[in-house]
Amino acid sequence: MLGSYHMQVLERSMDAANLRNRTIANNLANIDTPQYKSQQVVFEEYLQQELSGARGQQKLEAYRTNEKHIPFANAGGFATPQIVSNPNNFVQNNGNDVDLEAEETELAKNQIWYSGLTQLTAGAYQKIRSVIDGGGK
Amino acid sequence: MSLFQGINTSASALTANRLRMDTIASNIANAETTRANFVNGVWQPYRRKMVELSPKSGESFENLLQAAVGNVTGKNGSQGVRVTAIKEDETPFKLVYDPSHPDADKEGYVLMPNVDVMKEMVDMISASRSYEANITALNATKNMMMKALEIR
Repeated sequence: MLGSYHMQVLERSMDAANLRNRTIANNLANIDTPQYKSQQVVFEEYLQQELSGARGQQKLEAYRTNEKHIPFANAGGFATPQIVSNPNNFVQNNGNDVDLEAEETELAKNQIWYSGLTQLTAGAYQKIRSVIDGGGK
Repeated sequence: MSLFQGINTSASALTANRLRMDTIASNIANAETTRANFVNGVWQPYRRKMVELSPKSGESFENLLQAAVGNVTGKNGSQGVRVTAIKEDETPFKLVYDPSHPDADKEGYVLMPNVDVMKEMVDMISASRSYEANITALNATKNMMMKALEIR
């Protein structure tokens, strides 16, 4: 239950949100740096692909010669956030392409997304706790 | 993932922008300073100073490790911004006609600093806005961490 697929998705998503927050902070830190190219984190698309596939279907399968061999659990197949440079922004005079408004919007969105994830995680633990307590409380 | 990386990144930007503000303040304060450097028996006016910024290298052990174990794919970017140099503006000094000035030459001309107060004001607004933007980022990071601590 604690290491369930559901929890793994939450954990991975929170890691991605953290990474995105760092990337945005970095873009904002370099808002006046000449020749700086902004970066962004791509994650939800990968997670979507992962979730739309069959649950047990992993991208990287270990080659098994015997039915009793233990398969890799999620090895390499789990949605991994990717840092890419932003392709759409136009460049200013000093070669910098940080878009302040876009970054701030992303920052706000990411924050809301993250608090949603923390609430879901807290809720999941709450369920476990109520099972342990036997619903007696 | 390093816990305070986001905050450190924003902090580096706050420091850099504070230094930009200090430099601008110095430029404005010395907009009329005719005696800044004593070179070959002659007083040279103040030269406008400018801050040079560059991204802090992202080639840290932690970033390389995260990429190697597959937690992140793609180039893990830099970790904030740093000031590489304070450069002097090499544009020529302004020549102003003012015979009553103590530093005037025989024709009554004075060499004045190459500071344009208007330009400094524009830079000042830019630096102060960047500072604000980074404060917002820092608060966002802080709020996220506080949210994470609420999980129990």
